[in-house]
Amino acid sequence: MLVVENLTVCYGGITALDNVSITIPDGKIVGLVGANGAGKSTTINTISGMVIPSGGNVKLDGESLLIPPQEIVKKGIVQVPEGRRIFPSITVQENLILGAYTLKGGEKVEENMQRMFELFPVLGERKNQDGGTLSGGEQQMLAIARALMSDPRILLLDEPSLGLAPKLVLEIFNMIQELNNRGLTILLVEQNAQKALNISDYAYVLETGRIVAEGEGKRIAEDPIVKKAYLGIEE
Amino acid sequence: MNLNIFFQQLINGISLGGVYALMAVGFGIIFNVLKFSNFSHGGVVAICAYLGYFLATRVAGSLWITLLATTLLGGVVGVLVEKLVFRPIRIKGRPLTYFFVNSITVAMLVQQFFSALWGYDYYPYPEFIKKTALHIGRLVVSKTYLMMLFISALVLLGLTLFLRKTKQGIAIRAASSDIWTPSLMGINTDFIISITFFIAGVLAGITGYFLGMTYTVTPFIGSFILKGIIAAIVGGMGSLTGGGIAGVLLGVVESLLIAELGAAVTPIVIYAGIIILLLVRPQGIAGKLYTIKA
Repeated sequence: MLVVENLTVCYGGITALDNVSITIPDGKIVGLVGANGAGKSTTINTISGMVIPSGGNVKLDGESLLIPPQEIVKKGIVQVPEGRRIFPSITVQENLILGAYTLKGGEKVEENMQRMFELFPVLGERKNQDGGTLSGGEQQMLAIARALMSDPRILLLDEPSLGLAPKLVLEIFNMIQELNNRGLTILLVEQNAQKALNISDYAYVLETGRIVAEGEGKRIAEDPIVKKAYLGIEE
Repeated sequence: MNLNIFFQQLINGISLGGVYALMAVGFGIIFNVLKFSNFSHGGVVAICAYLGYFLATRVAGSLWITLLATTLLGGVVGVLVEKLVFRPIRIKGRPLTYFFVNSITVAMLVQQFFSALWGYDYYPYPEFIKKTALHIGRLVVSKTYLMMLFISALVLLGLTLFLRKTKQGIAIRAASSDIWTPSLMGINTDFIISITFFIAGVLAGITGYFLGMTYTVTPFIGSFILKGIIAAIVGGMGSLTGGGIAGVLLGVVESLLIAELGAAVTPIVIYAGIIILLLVRPQGIAGKLYTIKA
């Protein structure tokens, strides 16, 4: 179980996160929604060790996670960053090899790569192409596959639907559910709140650095006050 | 120019160009990852030229042992320069101008250090390879130049394999487009940067040794790096292959022009040619367009 405890993050004099607590139980999809600038990416980047908090803690099974980012990956927590950030100048295959950087032994890497090519056949077809030549949707698949290459326990997804056509958005969300069915724990950060809440077991609503609502995903999605005030969804 | 002289100058040019290529790649690989023009590379080259001289005259009499030792020590010097000079400003998130200024400062510091310590004397390397030459038909080729050509080619080939086949090498190439994201894959960015500086230092080590062997050692030997920087820019910043090819081309053009026009006019022609080339093709031979900020 991944627990974010009373997390406070300041950039210069500005408080980006104020006393945020989130629980991500094993095997669940937890949604984190809110408007632009609410602190969603800051939360995910703090869990990944990319941002150092000024207060609070992140714990995995009770053990503090305030360690460098590469150590957090070794604990099985891997992020799919916002904007995909695949490496454009190296091939699809090389992108995946880097995803498995923490694994020891070439056989395991090869095995995982074959698994990714089954999961995302288009990546197999394009394995020798530079990452930068893929379309937006393919790049998102590559970003997810790259994260899965290290056999993570917990996947942190930052805005996976950003900039994708509606049909692809659906495909990506189906994929997230499918991964969860296979036992992966997921923290899903989204601006596309309605869709994210629908597949989340539990969800938190973030506004200007604070948690303002939490509850079962579907309940949050249907709560008219939450919808209107925090998610900008009018009936 | 008769055909004999042409071929001889061509071979000399290729092996000189091999050294330029080593410099271009050493300079370029740091630019790729950290995006600043690393003039301290010339400083490391100078340190290695003196190291090689010291090892070859005081410690061991073998070319291969002293070359190898200089090369490895060059790598260590490269890593130390990064740790002492560049890492502190990188951790503080300073702009690229700081890196640029620091790199020039290191080059000057090394130059002044050797000037103060050993004056402006010339230190000739011992003659490992007798000045005998190979006679191929009517061509006369210097053995030293052939050896330099062979080693430069071998090293660049080895580096290419490393960058293509190992996960650390792939990480270096990935970091050249994005230094932030590799840590999300569990890659220790500091370590990758250390490896990159080690590689640059190894290349500087070989360069320093070869330059020392060819020209004798002075505190200003590091300024040869200018040729490497020119090759890197002409080849295209961001493309190591382009830099390597441009290095060889530069060596060849230089050697041929010297035979035809003389040593005084050649630099004028070359530098003017480079300015024109970059006007026509600012991204260089093989480069993508980068905004070079420092």
